[in-house]
Amino acid sequence: MNGRPNTVRKDGDPQMTWRKLLPPLALLLAAGAIGLLAFLAQRTQAVDNTLHLQRLHQIRVVDALDVGLNRAVTQVGVSTMVNVTNDRATTTAQLGDALNALEQGPTSLRGLSPALDQALDTFLDTVESKFELAFDFEARNILVNQRLIAGIDAVPVMADAVLAAADTATHDMVAGLLRQLRTEVNTFGVVQTPVNEDRIHALLTQLDALAPGQSEAFVGALRSLRARSADVIADKQELVGRLGNFLARPTAPQLHAVEQAYMDWHGTQVAVANQYRSWLAAYAAILLLVLAWLGLRLRRSYRDLDRANAELSHANEHLEEQVDARTHDLQAALKELQASQAQLIQSEKMASLGQMVAGVAHEINTPLGYARSNAEIVRTSLADIRSLVDAQSRALNLLTQDDASDDDIAQSVAAAQGIAESIGASELVDELDTLLGDTDHGLAQISDLVGSLKDFSRVDRSRTDLFDVNDGLEAALKICHNQLKHRIEVVKSYAQLPAIECSPSQLNQVFLNLFNNAAQAIEGEGKLYIHTAPGPRGVAIRILDTGSGMAEDVRARIFEPFFTTKPVGKGTGLGLSIVFRIIEDHGGHIDVRSTPGKGSEFAIHLPLKQARPETPPATEALAA
Amino acid sequence: MNETAEPTARARVLFVDDEPRVLTTMRMLFRNRYELHFSESGAKALDFLRSTPVDVIVSDQRMPGMTGIELLRAARELNPDAMRILLTGYSDLNAIIGSINEGEIFRFVNKPWSNEDLTQTVARAVTAARASADATRAGDTTPTSLGAEPGILVVDDDPRVPAQIQSILGDAIRVLSATSMDDAVSTLERERIGVVVSDTRVQDQAVIGLISTLKQHHPELVSVILTERADAGTAIDLINQGQIYRFITKPLHESQCKITVSSALRQHQRLSQAPQLLQRYEVVAAPEPAPASTTGRLMDRIRSLRSVVKRLM
Repeated sequence: MNGRPNTVRKDGDPQMTWRKLLPPLALLLAAGAIGLLAFLAQRTQAVDNTLHLQRLHQIRVVDALDVGLNRAVTQVGVSTMVNVTNDRATTTAQLGDALNALEQGPTSLRGLSPALDQALDTFLDTVESKFELAFDFEARNILVNQRLIAGIDAVPVMADAVLAAADTATHDMVAGLLRQLRTEVNTFGVVQTPVNEDRIHALLTQLDALAPGQSEAFVGALRSLRARSADVIADKQELVGRLGNFLARPTAPQLHAVEQAYMDWHGTQVAVANQYRSWLAAYAAILLLVLAWLGLRLRRSYRDLDRANAELSHANEHLEEQVDARTHDLQAALKELQASQAQLIQSEKMASLGQMVAGVAHEINTPLGYARSNAEIVRTSLADIRSLVDAQSRALNLLTQDDASDDDIAQSVAAAQGIAESIGASELVDELDTLLGDTDHGLAQISDLVGSLKDFSRVDRSRTDLFDVNDGLEAALKICHNQLKHRIEVVKSYAQLPAIECSPSQLNQVFLNLFNNAAQAIEGEGKLYIHTAPGPRGVAIRILDTGSGMAEDVRARIFEPFFTTKPVGKGTGLGLSIVFRIIEDHGGHIDVRSTPGKGSEFAIHLPLKQARPETPPATEALAA
Repeated sequence: MNETAEPTARARVLFVDDEPRVLTTMRMLFRNRYELHFSESGAKALDFLRSTPVDVIVSDQRMPGMTGIELLRAARELNPDAMRILLTGYSDLNAIIGSINEGEIFRFVNKPWSNEDLTQTVARAVTAARASADATRAGDTTPTSLGAEPGILVVDDDPRVPAQIQSILGDAIRVLSATSMDDAVSTLERERIGVVVSDTRVQDQAVIGLISTLKQHHPELVSVILTERADAGTAIDLINQGQIYRFITKPLHESQCKITVSSALRQHQRLSQAPQLLQRYEVVAAPEPAPASTTGRLMDRIRSLRSVVKRLM
């Protein structure tokens, strides 16, 4: 069901969702399973046996009370005693309660099934009519019963009157008949269902038969006797009729029908409950199977776990050796890496040195070229000038010699003049002057460059020194002048700075690297701004260029070693990482901000004093 | 320097340098000899060249805006007869290879220069320019085949290289191979060769001497350098002393190799038919090796080749 291990999926996301969904899903499933179990169990408990028995008992009670009512009514019929009537009232009340219990309350039969409802309605109607009959009967009974008793009491009086009027001849016979009649009438009045009416009529007929010849009184008395007897019979018959009518109400079979309908309903209920019971059994069986399967899975998981545990502990035992071996490998790899990094740093240094030398070589070779050439030109021109000087001194000599002829003098002066003209003496001297001026300029340029190289490398100074950062910036600018000139306008804004304790040659390298970087970032013409400012505990240097800038992903990695955006073979990617290392080693920090297409800004902060006076050995190789 | 130059029409020489003092020096050095013109940038020089053809252009390499090589390449289009000389303060290998292959320059002159060398170089350039201008005036004869097609000699330590070149060029062109200098000279003695394709060193000997001597004595031979050990100094020597026609780097690219070699063959035919042009490819004599050395003996053999080549032609 839910215990399945999720199948391995290729993409992580659905797997995660699945894993997240698993617990609530399992909970939901468990709740569903328990709910179904509870529902089925409840369904099997639908048949409440106690209730069933109570209902059956209730029906029995009603039955018994109905019988009791019949009995009470019957007793009322034969007795006029008040307590009998009370009995009936009590029974009626009890029956009413019992019927109410059938109609409503916990043991009610109402609403269980239509058949039962109908049977119950019929029964209740009948019981109601029976109540009415009983009520009528009771009301009538007192009257009729008293009349009956009066009649019965009157019959002996009439009989005595008859006997008194009877002649002697028939006296005994009459007496016997009257005795019999009295007994019979009494019996008729008292017996519940008299059957001797014919006998009374027969006796009266026999008495009538004796009437002829008898006195008027006899006949009259006999008539009265007959009337009284007839009254008794009529009253008794009315009573019996009413009682019969009451008792004939079919409450018992109807109640039986109710019971039957109830039993039918109950049977159905039991059948349904049984159905649910079998479903419950099946469901329980399924649950047990699932449980068994889960158990099996759990067992298997445990077995796997045990195995994994065993492997783990085994691996643990060997871990130490493995760790040792790995550590050894790693140390070796680290050493190799360090060696190759040192090599790379060295090669980066050599590359930037080469670039610098190439630039400086060009810078030096140009003035050197014309200075040297000029010197040669001056020297060759000196030959012309010398010949002029010779000619002129010859002319001068002739002039000062007394024995010189005018012709000679004129000739020598003309020769000197000819030479002066042919070499353009005055212009030549001017030109040579210009050439020597240029030469001076060239030599000054060279000496300036050599001076800045010395400033830059600071090979003649101690490694750590008090240093004005502005001087370093100037030295670096001179070194890369060749890269910047004609193309990049340098805008300097230097503040008066306190001298900071640092390694000047390393800082010069930093500035040179940053200037070179800026020069490479600027395609065509652009500007390079250099700001310096004293800070509370150090100096701040900002170097801005109007170059191509860089994207955020490049900017974030710019100080990483070996990160380069230049094509393979064009840069080691170490330049800025070296800058970063030097600044960090000086206890300073460097930040870069950049906007693609606009330019970049490097902001450096350097402290006044070094926390550690020694330069860390790692940067030893970087010292320019 | 060259007495045959017509005195009436002085040769026109254009100097280009961003440093005006260099131009002043040049003016002093060359006045009286040529009609001198000066430009302080490549762009100005090109403007000038559009209106006035010149015989020789001497340009600085490192200038703002346009480098000397860029200028000489553009000038070659504008003014193909002008001889091109590059004055350079430092040597960037790629720039030098570019100037050989695209600028077809006559000489590199390193700063600082010697006045004597510079004047001599310019004078040679002027002579060559005059000669080739005459040849152009005489009419550009389309090269016609001279019987057997000249072959290509590939001199390389690696014997796979000639095979590779043969497969690139196809069977129409004969490719001969030599794995040593001796081999190369023997082949040159036997066969008619138009183009020599060579590495800079063969069997640990620099081929510059061989190429230089070949060019001095057989200027119609066209040489192409094919190497993976390119360095700026060697390249400068090769152009100055060997007038190499092209400089290409390994690994071989098929199309580059094809274009270069066929262009070299055409150049050979042009030179064979118009000997006046040969001056354009005149070389500086390499320092003479001691005659006892193997190289010296080789050089002697090469010199004697002259008659053989002449006979073959």
